[in-house]
Amino acid sequence: MTKTDIILETLDVKRHFVTARPIFGAPTIVRAVDGVDLQIHRGETFAIVGESGCGKSTLARLLTRLLTPSDGTIIYDGNDIGELPEHELRGIRRDIQIIFQDPFSSLNPSMTVGALIEEPLRVHGIGDAQARRGTVAKLLSKVGLSIMSADRYPHEFSGGQRQRIGIARALACGPKVIIGDEPVSALDVSIQAQIINILENLKEEFGLTLVFIAHDLAVVRHMSDRVAVMYLGQIVEIGQVEDLFARPKHPYTAAIIAAIPVPQIGTKLDSVQPVGDPPNPIDMPNGCRFHPRCQFAQSRCRIEAPKLRDTNGAHSVACHRFDELNLSGIRNLPNTRRSSARTRFELYRTARAHSDGVKDAPTTI
Amino acid sequence: MNDAEPNLLKVTDLSINVAGASLDLVRGVSFTLAKGETLCIVGESGCGKSLTALALMGLLTTPPMLVTQGSATFQGRDLLQLPIGELQALRGNSMAMIFQEPMTSLNPVLRIGEQIAESVCRHKGVSRLEARARALEMLQRVGIPAAEKRLDEFPHQLSGGMRQRVMIAMALANDPTLLLADEPTTALDVTIQAQVLDLMRDLQAETGTAMILITHDLGVVAEMADTVAVMYAGQIVEIGPAREIFEDAQHPYTIGLMSAVPSVGVRSERLVTIPGVVPSAMDMPAGCRFASRCPFADAICANVPSLVDLGQRHQAACWKAPLEAQIAQVDRISV
Repeated sequence: MTKTDIILETLDVKRHFVTARPIFGAPTIVRAVDGVDLQIHRGETFAIVGESGCGKSTLARLLTRLLTPSDGTIIYDGNDIGELPEHELRGIRRDIQIIFQDPFSSLNPSMTVGALIEEPLRVHGIGDAQARRGTVAKLLSKVGLSIMSADRYPHEFSGGQRQRIGIARALACGPKVIIGDEPVSALDVSIQAQIINILENLKEEFGLTLVFIAHDLAVVRHMSDRVAVMYLGQIVEIGQVEDLFARPKHPYTAAIIAAIPVPQIGTKLDSVQPVGDPPNPIDMPNGCRFHPRCQFAQSRCRIEAPKLRDTNGAHSVACHRFDELNLSGIRNLPNTRRSSARTRFELYRTARAHSDGVKDAPTTI
Repeated sequence: MNDAEPNLLKVTDLSINVAGASLDLVRGVSFTLAKGETLCIVGESGCGKSLTALALMGLLTTPPMLVTQGSATFQGRDLLQLPIGELQALRGNSMAMIFQEPMTSLNPVLRIGEQIAESVCRHKGVSRLEARARALEMLQRVGIPAAEKRLDEFPHQLSGGMRQRVMIAMALANDPTLLLADEPTTALDVTIQAQVLDLMRDLQAETGTAMILITHDLGVVAEMADTVAVMYAGQIVEIGPAREIFEDAQHPYTIGLMSAVPSVGVRSERLVTIPGVVPSAMDMPAGCRFASRCPFADAICANVPSLVDLGQRHQAACWKAPLEAQIAQVDRISV
């Protein structure tokens, strides 16, 4: 891996929040992101997964420099952007864009859709008014919305359509990296599939690097090339998606994979689940942060925090016992659909592919 | 369904409208539920799955929502006609409900123990001390550690998973025969969801409670359901035993929904989607409500399809079912 293949990198990046500063005694500190090393390759889709409160959204905001790290370095395209003052960030903002989870609160309700998509172009002084209008029209059709949408307001659109607007806005000034903070998790299944396909098509078309935060492992499995699993502010495992899902090396990864409900009858496992809840990020356990919930924990895990170690050149894990544990990953389930049902699914797929082919829009759903 | 089988709950032709407007929110929903059975109602936002449950509990906001027709026979009485006093005697007693958001459905200023004991006191007429003992027993049964201490804590002191356990303890405190759970694990993380689903299944096996589980997650359905009803735009479009639905799906909407879920097993190039969006209640199509998004729709779909028996207690409301017999070969050749 040469240096130029890495577009975005963090070195021991930390972000701590002080939640309460009493007159006497120590302030309460939440260590939301606590020492993360990441290397994101140009053109890949990189997923960051973890449960609520693990710091994945904070990490996304650090990568876009919407937050300043408390410590550590963020390197974009060879330049340290971690310490850049606000006024020097403008160029970075053009290159790194974010798509938010909630399509309802992330669009200004008093601006028309056209103005919303045009805003980044105006801010960065790209083109004159006429050229910008043309760009807006092109972006709208890229995300599968009609040009008429430009004069309407966000409240007139459904959740899925608003997420399309958010995507068009993120694409407006030609970014190189798109960071999605749970971009599809607020959407219904059928709409979610449409948005996933749009993101994948656009990524291919514009050669984007896509980093997305998710908690839905099926979506992660479908979309990403590499995955990082976070637990309480730290990365516990990172690897190629196939390898990580098939051969998880961290007990936490194995647990979240086993907990995915599979939409097929008779797949329910009597798996051993991690007991209890994730601990409070204010009051971190000593040693390995997962040890109070880990069925494999030994005395060493209670004392010494494991470091993220490379296991085979592409798969790293932070667990003292990774080479003695034989954890099971995703199972290869036989397709239990009857042959008549398989014919129906195939008919549906063909009919849908056919009707999509008929439409002339470049990127439709 | 076998007529001789004594049904715990029999819902017939339930329809819900907005009062004074011709907005169909739920249209002609019918199903039965046997003792100890789990029925999963699956569908996307706005399909009427939650409204159906709220109507059964007598919790619809009326006005504007109004049950315009139908009946729901539970223990020999029609839930939809019961005076409020009798309904209150049932709710929290022989029928109970678990909501999605455990933070907003627990009273923030009452201690956990008092909230569980409240319904025990009201329905069983026991002393406060006995009710408190029952609350403690329930907390232990739903697997809350240090239950004795938790009794005197407030909801904000508990995590999301713990709160949902408290909701379950509260709902089951009076041994209901019917439990309605509206997206009980949607707000929870995946490992906590697995714990809560395991708990619900164990308690159900122990108590023989029948359950209506409302969810949008087909994975949860596959784990929990005996029977599945798929709802779309206010109607049941397909209903049957869980195995039939998952292994022999018939309705194009069910097929589309199952195709649109990314698989954790095999990786596909692009997801097969359902185009467009659900029609709004204000301009619902006259015929099949799915026709505008269905790749197989033609002239006949301008007529309302009714649920047709496909054997094995499996029914689907589609003019084109079974698809493999009715869709022209020419489409299949191009596969």
